[in-house]
Amino acid sequence: METGRRITVALAGNANVGKSVIFNQLTGLDQVIGNWPGKTVERAEGTLHYHGYTVRILDLPGVYSLSTFSIEEVVARDYIAIERPDVIVNVVDASALERNLYFTIQLLELEAPIVMALNQVDFAAKKGIRVDSEELSKVLGIPVVPTVAITGTGINELLSTIVNVLEGKTKLTPLKISYGKEIEDRLEKLELTIREKLPNLSSKYPARWIALKLLEKDEDLIKKVEDHQQGPEVSAFANAVAEEIERIHGEPSPIVIASERYSLASKMAKDVAHVESPPRLHLEEKLDSITAHKVLGYPILALVMAAMFATIFITGDIMVRTLENLFENMLIPATLDLLSKALPPALVDLVSKGFLSGITAGVTIALPYIVPFYIILSILEDSGYLPRVAFLLDNPMHKIGLHGKASICLLLGYGCNVPACTGCRIMETQRERLLGGFVTVLIPCTARTVVILGLVGRYIGIPAALGLYAFDLFLVFTLGRIGFKTLPGEPVGLIMEMPPYKMPSMKTVARKTWARTRDFTYIAFPLIIAGSVVLEVLAVTGLIWSIAELMNPLIVGWLGLPSIAGIPIMFGILRKELTLVLLADLAGTLNFSQVLTPVQMVVFSLVTMIYVPCIATIAALVREFKWKKALAISIIDIVLALLVGGVAFRLLSRILG
Amino acid sequence: MSIDPRLLELLELIGSSEAQNKPVRSDELALELGCSLDDLGKLLENALKEGLIELIADTWRLTNRGRSEVQSHREHYIHEKYGHRPGFLGRAARFVEGSIHDWRGHWHHRHGLDENSLRGFYRNIQDLEGRVEETSSLVELHPGEKGIVAFALGGYGLVRRLADMGLTPGTEVAVVRNAPFRGPVEVAVRGVSLALGYGIASKVFVKRLKGAD
Repeated sequence: METGRRITVALAGNANVGKSVIFNQLTGLDQVIGNWPGKTVERAEGTLHYHGYTVRILDLPGVYSLSTFSIEEVVARDYIAIERPDVIVNVVDASALERNLYFTIQLLELEAPIVMALNQVDFAAKKGIRVDSEELSKVLGIPVVPTVAITGTGINELLSTIVNVLEGKTKLTPLKISYGKEIEDRLEKLELTIREKLPNLSSKYPARWIALKLLEKDEDLIKKVEDHQQGPEVSAFANAVAEEIERIHGEPSPIVIASERYSLASKMAKDVAHVESPPRLHLEEKLDSITAHKVLGYPILALVMAAMFATIFITGDIMVRTLENLFENMLIPATLDLLSKALPPALVDLVSKGFLSGITAGVTIALPYIVPFYIILSILEDSGYLPRVAFLLDNPMHKIGLHGKASICLLLGYGCNVPACTGCRIMETQRERLLGGFVTVLIPCTARTVVILGLVGRYIGIPAALGLYAFDLFLVFTLGRIGFKTLPGEPVGLIMEMPPYKMPSMKTVARKTWARTRDFTYIAFPLIIAGSVVLEVLAVTGLIWSIAELMNPLIVGWLGLPSIAGIPIMFGILRKELTLVLLADLAGTLNFSQVLTPVQMVVFSLVTMIYVPCIATIAALVREFKWKKALAISIIDIVLALLVGGVAFRLLSRILG
Repeated sequence: MSIDPRLLELLELIGSSEAQNKPVRSDELALELGCSLDDLGKLLENALKEGLIELIADTWRLTNRGRSEVQSHREHYIHEKYGHRPGFLGRAARFVEGSIHDWRGHWHHRHGLDENSLRGFYRNIQDLEGRVEETSSLVELHPGEKGIVAFALGGYGLVRRLADMGLTPGTEVAVVRNAPFRGPVEVAVRGVSLALGYGIASKVFVKRLKGAD
């Protein structure tokens, strides 16, 4: 057998049909999956070895169509059309066949080699839908493999089918999609013209597909056609044909084509799917009607949020204590013992205070809150609750120029701003992503929550801490509104699929939590450790006090904080929870009420809460929006934090003093 | 410009039978209008005199004037009812606009319909089945009610996005639930649930199906 033959397989299909699950099953990687549409925006990649093949697998973003309205559609289409993978696995949700086949039809029109993974057949069966995969395979002329991705059922058959197609053992006789006679005649004429006048372009894309896209008035393709010498001529002819079609059907030609595709999909779905019992899922439907209820939905949302944070803080607190004990009483002394035998004392000090205390801070302060958050988030995601949140919160989100999906990002932001910024990709346009990123970084993440609760919550009281949260939401909405009014462009409305509720799979939850924690550790820990080391160097050399001196006008004069508070605030940019750790270090006590007055605690927490989240988030912002916008967001946040802090100091001193 | 509303109703009915290629029968017309055959006769006579309808091969047909009268009535109705947000601000905006002479330009400049979607919009209202008063936007439907998508009043991009999600003209949709305070509408279409923001849902027009559960 030939060894190491490299092949490329792309997974394509609607959003939320299980592409990422199949991807993970095939590659053993941990692409983040969840029961909400739009997690995979960039394509993910992995490799596997199978029967002597090196198979490169690509997980394309989920799209409903191969037009060019959203960034995802462009990514998916360009990849399939231009890079021509050896096989495309069209992942299809068996429980929503009609809508999924609409996409399959478009893949067939691209004349790509397709293998269909008929996924979620178990769920479809629960809904009383049984899809005859052999019949479907006959109708479409492509192999159809029934799968239940989450359990791995059918994955092996899928792989062997792919190989059979590649080796020519399974012949594809893809269905030729034909439209009504009036369209078909004109389409053929247009196709001939394209072949004749645009030989270059029609060697790249199928001529019939170009013809269809011209009739669909696809802007991207019209531009490509018109770039050719005889392009304008062809495009004028296409317009005339479209005009004729419009006159006959009384709809714009793109709508006529979409309707035709849908009626074909609908007919196929009816032919191959047998609805055996009335589709009633009592528990799921009840859950749906309660959690998305126009009145009850909101208290439930509040309750879910409250339960989530309560769980995070209770378990987090227990873990913090246990881990602190473990580190301080066992691990650190043991390590120091070892080190002092090998290194000179000055270095030992640096390592212990810088390196070790960095790791300790990371493990004992950050992880205990972040891991439970990720677990709960994964459960919420997997169950399908997040789209309900988006549904309920669509209206308030519109007030800041975003739609319901943005509320998912804000929610993610309460855990960690880094995935939340990346999550802003679920929005359709660049404008909305930017606006979403801008407000998301203002959401107090777990790290900032540690500061708020550890300082204000503990020494002043929980109501005051909640007040800070409320104030933060007020800020988010005010700034969001300003951003909305300043940024050019029109807001986009919400069109979102509402996936049915599902029982979260513990395996998925565990894998996802692990993947996210690992990513977080990779980003955060080097920064935390480097920061602690730098800080230790500054402390040893005494530079730290000169810096503090320099910052005094701002820290003492404007914000009314003690001089030592400047250093923690500055280094908080590495990790926000560091501010509290450093404050304790510098003050030489864990009892913050000895160093800060209540007003100072509030001001300290406010400033920490608002100014740029942390270096990892800035990195995420740069990745998403380029450095200029990231810098702008950071500067706005710093200025805002100082402004709010100073004003709060004056106001609160007057009221309380 | 102002003509008898009953006459308009008559024109609408004739127009929609025409679009469906159905012959127009007097008794059906009378039934739909809820008037006696005598009154209908008078109405028809009136319309004939005004040059709005003509009798071709034993069936009533709209003349070009009649057709444009129907068209203008339909767009006027849609504009009055859905062009502006309800409430004081919408009324104020409507007041500022004053009377409109150039509808095409108005839809384009004030309501952001581009050339492509305008063409679709006009075709759609021309082919509307039944009277325009029978269509309503998705946000007016109560949970459980069903309708057939007639047209979407929006930019080309939106109309295409909706079509890609399965909301093509002629598709049956059922409203599952609404969120409060002008929140989104959840609809079931082609076996899946979609959440449509209020702004979008209010631009999707359906013909209500009667007797839905």
